[in-house]
Amino acid sequence: MAARAGMAPVLLGTSAVAVAYASAFLPGGAPGWGAWAMVLGIASLSVGLMMLGASRQGRPLGVLVWPLAFTFVALVGCFGVALALPATEVAGARLWGGLPARTALILYGIGALPALVLPLVYARTFRTMTLDSADIERIRAARRATESTASAGNP
Amino acid sequence: MSLFALQGAALPTVAEPAIIGVMLLYGVIVGGIAVWATRLTRTAKDFFVAGQGIGIWTLAIAAMSATLSGFAFIGGPGLVYTLGIGAMFIILPASFTNTMGAWVLAKRMRLLGEVRGLITVPDAIGARYRSRAAQGLSGIAILVAIIGYMATNVLALGLVVDAVFGTGLAWGIWIGLAVVMAYSAAGGILAGVYTDLFQGAVMAFASILVFFYALNAGGGLGGISRTILAGDPGFLGPWGKLTPLAALSFFFVFGLGALGQPHVIHKFYMLRDPLRLKWYPAIMTAALMLTLLLYFGVGVAVKAEVLKGTLAPLVRADDATPQFLLYYTPVLLAGLVFAGVAAAIMSTVNSFINIGAAVITHDLPLALGRTLSNELHWGRLSTVVISVVAALVAQLSGTLVAFLGIFGWGLFASTLVPALAIGLNWPGATRSGAIASIATGLVTTLGFETAAYFKVFSFPAGVTVSGLSLVLSLLVFFAVSLLTRSEAEDIDPDIRLVMET
Repeated sequence: MAARAGMAPVLLGTSAVAVAYASAFLPGGAPGWGAWAMVLGIASLSVGLMMLGASRQGRPLGVLVWPLAFTFVALVGCFGVALALPATEVAGARLWGGLPARTALILYGIGALPALVLPLVYARTFRTMTLDSADIERIRAARRATESTASAGNP
Repeated sequence: MSLFALQGAALPTVAEPAIIGVMLLYGVIVGGIAVWATRLTRTAKDFFVAGQGIGIWTLAIAAMSATLSGFAFIGGPGLVYTLGIGAMFIILPASFTNTMGAWVLAKRMRLLGEVRGLITVPDAIGARYRSRAAQGLSGIAILVAIIGYMATNVLALGLVVDAVFGTGLAWGIWIGLAVVMAYSAAGGILAGVYTDLFQGAVMAFASILVFFYALNAGGGLGGISRTILAGDPGFLGPWGKLTPLAALSFFFVFGLGALGQPHVIHKFYMLRDPLRLKWYPAIMTAALMLTLLLYFGVGVAVKAEVLKGTLAPLVRADDATPQFLLYYTPVLLAGLVFAGVAAAIMSTVNSFINIGAAVITHDLPLALGRTLSNELHWGRLSTVVISVVAALVAQLSGTLVAFLGIFGWGLFASTLVPALAIGLNWPGATRSGAIASIATGLVTTLGFETAAYFKVFSFPAGVTVSGLSLVLSLLVFFAVSLLTRSEAEDIDPDIRLVMET
């Protein structure tokens, strides 16, 4: 069985999260890059796990590459911009969808946008990329084979 | 911070006739569903996996109900009131965790149920690694986490019953638990999922209504934001009152940790038609996000009202929801929310009772090379024993209960995410890697939480024990699997087929 797509980002993401936590133990507390390592770790791990789960033996990820890339960009982009931009949360600040800009980016960009995209992509690609009747029949045939072997061994 | 010690002190008394009436009506409907479902429960398969016969709506809404405890209605809004936007990092991952869970776990768990007739989460680990030790160890980890989770939830249920009916806490605990225990023991998870369906609908409906009352009270989200920015601008910063690393650590634990929650994963076995999984992420995500509107809405609305001076500063953060209901919503809606809180707690407790009973009657005997002759009978008996133990623990000192409540989510995550979520998708995972990671998750979570709780060691800002334990468990899983990669080919053909499908 070939190693599945997604293991590289999962390993990379785990390492980045470990580095982020380790940075908090440095004298003086977590440096600024600790949060960046955590952002990269979360995005790599999340998208890597989705790749790992969505990929099937011998088949490319196909169109799923795009929503997964979108998720990675949304996580890194929204968290990254919130980390990079100066604080503008003051009285009279301009509001975006009822929230200050950086907060709106996180709540809408990460808390809402993937919810509108990913479930629909999953449903739209389910039969072609995830599971169809032939897959289930193969599983049932495997069960029947196991049962007949067991019953042959236990008369 | 005890995220899941839902409620450590008494709620304000809300014993008004309309609220009592709504709660009683809710109880009657739950009882009716339970009686109906109990008549359908004839075998251990019915008791533990609902006869593998539920539809996708029932699966998704029951999973949502089990995911959300009373924390979503009481502790969560209080946490938003205290930490500002930082508290949102606990629920933000809900936008993608259900789709991630569908890709990573839903299909493979359901197919494992098809190919092997498996009924528990440790069953899946045992089958994946051909290891009784891995199955038994994961069962022990689940049982330990369940004791903590259940004690805090049972305590919270007692507080809700006391607040509405004025029973006193001790009686509140026993009355609340007796209701859950009755339908859990009689109808098992079959009664559980159908009551969860009703309870989930109550939770979502109540949350949506309260959210609109919250927006209305503050003059819309823009009005609420302007009030808060004038009085406490840091509250509405992207990380709230937390450091960026601390907020992101919440996101990591609750995002990735969602793949290790057995009360949700276990439900994938129950779906009648695997092809209906197509709609699981859409239904679950929509239901979860609608039900979490109250968490955000009440938290920020109460903060704005306090800053405006129309509401006195809260003595305890957990009073945010009761105070808001008391002053800003009609009494019938308040009754519905209290029914929603009870529903959230009861649906979570029911799932835990059932999973715990399965560990005792199925997984641990299997790990020891035995099987019980009548799993349905022993399952019912275990349900009663687990419930009584949880009620007794809940009546011990509040400090102990709070401590037990700390580690539930993190322990599930650190022991199950590597071995189960990754292991079912990565053929390079080995038996030794799985056992080592489960043991690491168990030891580090309990050890670090104990050290932190008793102030033997304090972790730096931004580090949560759950997050640290999860990442250590992942690292051990990968390292040991790579070191023992000669074991990696030791997968049964039917399990390999499930992993490749």
